[in-house]
Amino acid sequence: MRQHLPPDDPRFIRIVPALQETPIFQPGQHVRVLERFPLGHYRVPLYLRGRIGGVERLVLPAIDNEEEGFGLNAGVKRHYYRIAVPMSDIWTDYAGSSRDQLYIEVFETWLEAVHDA
Amino acid sequence: MITIEDFMHRLPNDVGGQASPAFARVEHALAPWEKRCHALADVLDYHKLISTEEKRRGVEGLGADVINRLSYYERWATAFAVLLFEKGILTPTELAEKMAEIEARWPDERVSSTGEPRP
Amino acid sequence: MHEQDHDHDHDHHDHDHDHAEISATERPGYFDILQAALEELLNERKLVTTAEIERQIDVLDSRTPALGATIVARAWTDPDFRQQLLADGRGTCESLGITFYDDTGLIVLENTETVHNLVVCTLCSCYPRPLLGLPPEWYKLKPYRARAVIEPRALLAEFGTIIPDDVEIRVADSTSALRFLVLPLRPKGTDDYTEEQLAALVTRDAMIGVVTVKANDERVAA
Repeated sequence: MRQHLPPDDPRFIRIVPALQETPIFQPGQHVRVLERFPLGHYRVPLYLRGRIGGVERLVLPAIDNEEEGFGLNAGVKRHYYRIAVPMSDIWTDYAGSSRDQLYIEVFETWLEAVHDA
Repeated sequence: MITIEDFMHRLPNDVGGQASPAFARVEHALAPWEKRCHALADVLDYHKLISTEEKRRGVEGLGADVINRLSYYERWATAFAVLLFEKGILTPTELAEKMAEIEARWPDERVSSTGEPRP
Repeated sequence: MHEQDHDHDHDHHDHDHDHAEISATERPGYFDILQAALEELLNERKLVTTAEIERQIDVLDSRTPALGATIVARAWTDPDFRQQLLADGRGTCESLGITFYDDTGLIVLENTETVHNLVVCTLCSCYPRPLLGLPPEWYKLKPYRARAVIEPRALLAEFGTIIPDDVEIRVADSTSALRFLVLPLRPKGTDDYTEEQLAALVTRDAMIGVVTVKANDERVAA
């Protein structure tokens, strides 16, 4: 559960990370789960597609499990993000407290930043 | 009536929020073969012969009818067979022959070892 | 066990293992045979050995909810340990010798007076097996998986667990390599309990988040 933060010490400023090595999103940021529909294998439940959540924490880098499901195990690692989504945003008739939340880990390729209007 | 898109979008294991039978607090002690099946799954993953993710995809690929008919480890064992065929590790013929060989270790096809006729 | 059931062993000296799963008194069912056939073929190809499978069975059998209960009781009695556990679930368990053989992470979710956590895997059956052992059957079946994310309060009520409306419910849907352990609320009236007495109160289901932990006198009263 490593938290990557941009270095601000000038001695480390010239370090170049590999492509996709650095997390795109940070805790506290809001993200939208993309609406796309892979067939064959996925790990993003349908109920979550298109929902907006807050990033609670980063999860250790991992390979893309849609690819891994078909034996392509050598891919570049990218981050998972554990996000929190209000239950009442997922289910229109949610019976329960408006503060109830769903927490779930989503792979980086499934998320886009939401810019606060 | 669901559209073809809805039908194609949802894999059979993706049940979050779906209508379901009544909940019951079911417990089940694993049969010896089920425990061995679980252990085999872990060992296959250690060797990356079949990773956990491939096993999941393999189970999903069995389709809703098979998934709904089979129990948890019955799905796993079936998925392992198909995945091992896909990877060229085993062939369907080899597995069929081995299963027949094991079946033949019981002396009489029609009578179980307890002496009762087989169903 | 009838002796004649072992007859088949005499014809097969090419492998030295005992087919525990098919040497029972019952004639094996279809899936016993499928499982045995897969094992034998993988053995013959030297891809998976019987020793590996049997070692893994020992690994599985050594993980039970009692391990999790020990961790929970320690977290209730040792604030430093609790902090460490919440900050790094897997590392803290590993420091006690609990290995994560399936290479999953572990996040410990703390229940408080204002937050109740519940764990589910809607897509399959992800569960903290290295710590709690194998999940209960109901955890793997559709009704629990379907309902936990859409009506957690109604589902919890079916376990006899009523969560007040002013308590926030957090449902953790486990989909990647992270696993979750609920650290339940310590029941009231247990100040004089030893760590062992506390551990004895902690059930598997409380660590999934479907029930709360009750003191002995509450259980008697119920």
